[in-house]
Amino acid sequence: MSAPHSTGLSGGDPGAPSPLPAEAGTCLLVHTPIDGAAVLASVSAADAGGNVLFLGSTRGLTDGVTTLSLDYEAHEPLALAMLEELRSAAMARFALCGCAIVHRLGRVAVGEASIAIAASAPHRREAFAAAEWLLERVKAEVPIWKCEEGGDGGRTWVHPGDMRAGVEGGG
Amino acid sequence: MSIDPTTADRLPPPAACQRLVVTLFAGMAEIVGARRLEIDWHGGTVADLRRGIVAARPAIGPLLARSAVAVAGRYAADDRTIDAGAEVAIIPPVSGG
Repeated sequence: MSAPHSTGLSGGDPGAPSPLPAEAGTCLLVHTPIDGAAVLASVSAADAGGNVLFLGSTRGLTDGVTTLSLDYEAHEPLALAMLEELRSAAMARFALCGCAIVHRLGRVAVGEASIAIAASAPHRREAFAAAEWLLERVKAEVPIWKCEEGGDGGRTWVHPGDMRAGVEGGG
Repeated sequence: MSIDPTTADRLPPPAACQRLVVTLFAGMAEIVGARRLEIDWHGGTVADLRRGIVAARPAIGPLLARSAVAVAGRYAADDRTIDAGAEVAIIPPVSGG
């Protein structure tokens, strides 16, 4: 990787890959395509025997309904803070060597990645488990939303479930 | 009937009415047609804010009932007091990933 690393949250050139995580794992919200290989490389470590990269991509067909693209938006400061908290929690919980979470915002075409989660650990089991745990937490808690753009031209914001259940009683 | 001075001393001062700016996102912003909502605010809790928002914009009631409220960068329970000038956002059910 010869390009200088950047911690900027958005790239200027919409076609250019997003900036790489700056260190052995970090969290980013980006507005340009995610370079999954770079995210995985950012968590590599000499003592990591298991290195997992999860890419979540826009699906073109769901239950027979065509999706042209997804359009993501976020409460960016809160989302980034929560991603950092989740990353720190995963590092401790799974004794990871490295961990990175990159979520794309804006329009994400079919087949393109909206999220990359990379985890490295001494052994594969922890790396797999960490990646899945992080994905489920991100999907349930982090203030990021997608709008489905269908083949009929319609746009629909996706708001599943109830956010209050996890807040009440938890302070 | 006059209030004796001892009782009057214990009464809270009348709350000044201020404007509370609430940030909206995604489907919530779409329903309202704006990304900010200004609410008359006399002080109170998250639950009070929820009631105030529904009174101002009844159309967002159903989605608001399933939404979290973030105060000063944290999800807040209904009994959390909101200080004047606090940064407040409505967080409808999330769908990232």
